Amino acid sequence: MESDMSVIEKCAEIVDGAALGAFEIPQLTQSADITLEQAYAVQKASVERRFARGETLLGVKMGFTSRAKAIQMGVDDLIYGKLTTGMFVEDGGAINLSDYVHPRCEPELAFLLNKPLEGKVGMMEAYAAVEAVAPAIEIIDSRYEKFKFSLIDVVADNSSSSGFVLGNWRTKPEDPSNLGMILSFDGRPVQIGSTAAVMGNPVRSLVAAARMLATVGERLEAGQVVMTGGATAAEALSAGISVTAELEGLGRVGFRVEPD
Amino acid sequence: MSDDKTLISRLADRLFEAENTNTPCAPLRSEFAPDNLALAYAIQEHNVKRGQAAGRRVIGRKIGLTSKTVQRQLKVDQPDFGTIFADMVVGDGEEISFSRVLQAKVEAEIALVLKSDLDMEQPTVADIISATAYALPAIEVVGSRITDWDITITDTIADNASSGLIILGDTPKSLSEIDMRLCGMVMESGGDVVSVGAGVACMGSPLNAAVWIAYAMKKLGQPLRAGDILMTGALGPMVNVKPGACYDARISGLGSVRAVFGSE
Repeated sequence: MESDMSVIEKCAEIVDGAALGAFEIPQLTQSADITLEQAYAVQKASVERRFARGETLLGVKMGFTSRAKAIQMGVDDLIYGKLTTGMFVEDGGAINLSDYVHPRCEPELAFLLNKPLEGKVGMMEAYAAVEAVAPAIEIIDSRYEKFKFSLIDVVADNSSSSGFVLGNWRTKPEDPSNLGMILSFDGRPVQIGSTAAVMGNPVRSLVAAARMLATVGERLEAGQVVMTGGATAAEALSAGISVTAELEGLGRVGFRVEPD
Repeated sequence: MSDDKTLISRLADRLFEAENTNTPCAPLRSEFAPDNLALAYAIQEHNVKRGQAAGRRVIGRKIGLTSKTVQRQLKVDQPDFGTIFADMVVGDGEEISFSRVLQAKVEAEIALVLKSDLDMEQPTVADIISATAYALPAIEVVGSRITDWDITITDTIADNASSGLIILGDTPKSLSEIDMRLCGMVMESGGDVVSVGAGVACMGSPLNAAVWIAYAMKKLGQPLRAGDILMTGALGPMVNVKPGACYDARISGLGSVRAVFGSE
């Protein structure tokens, strides 16, 4: 019988290898019998492999925060993943599909923190810790075949984190709970929504991030970015397109996908 | 021609009957060509005239099928319109009997109230902006007199664009205070988010829908007039109404409005 540690290390090696090499893998849960708690341990071990390659931590992303997303993926619980320097894409930059398996993107509101948040915090306290907000696009890319997974699988795979693009940081609005959002491909809207789709108010996603991290003895730090979660269903990326997200009152952010 | 007249009045009667007896009827589409929108509008007009003859006051128009998703579902590439009577307007938070609208659904919209006539040829978005007195947050209660909402474009046009009631908020705003394209919309019921969207979902901007109706009404020789209310079209997906439920819609920059339904 394998020790708990070696199972987690082995799973981390599999998901990290798939992310690094941009190839599909079968769901971990088809061969490994792991719990949700162990899945977060796999996630942590896989992110540590990134650190070992010289990446550093930039923040946290929240997932399954909108009903549209939860329905699209067939799950019903919040998840988090870690954002590292290797995932950062400059506003106006370009990505190459060959670095991904089957990437999708979604428009989000991003928070920049100016103080730590740990454990059980209220919405007012959480929003008071927000220094600035930005329009953002998350590029999600499950390493699993056909983008199909269980909650445990996706958590182990760093919650499908693979890229994120941030627009300019802006002064936070008094109320971020209903900002209109448009995701456009080549100037044509493909997803339309509001930050309200994120748990009724994206500040709740920040509150959840602090609470969930505390269960593994971690906290959000000043200077970190929190991607609050997709406000619409995710759209598959294809070669040669130009992607833009606009948020009401916050301007826009975008990137290109290089042609084949 | 007289055959058409008989057909129009017969089909208009079917819809009128359905409304009055609170019993949905069969679709109309098998009775005439699927691309004969003019005939479908003539059926609508027949019932509008019937309403006016009974003393009902026309106060504006609603624009329907303004979202790309709904246009795709009905395989059309243009919106449609319906007619609003004064007795279809409900105040913010006033209780609505659940049985008042057949197969009711709700959607949040921006209502525009005109301060001048739009009787120029080929109106533009600038004409709309100049002619708008103020915008209001609004909820449209749509309904269908056709069984199970089994509609095509001609069915819904004939059925007054599936109109039911409109609930107007009471916070008038100037167009310069609203980002018509990016304004967020959220509708909540019982503490749950039930629909979200933004201005762009309505033909790219609710003002584009207003241009379309101004153009269409001018062409029909019934130009929009000062005081008319335009319900510009849904900003997010429609929601099925449940008895006893309250639907609270917020439109960023515009305020909020509530549709409250009785249990019967």
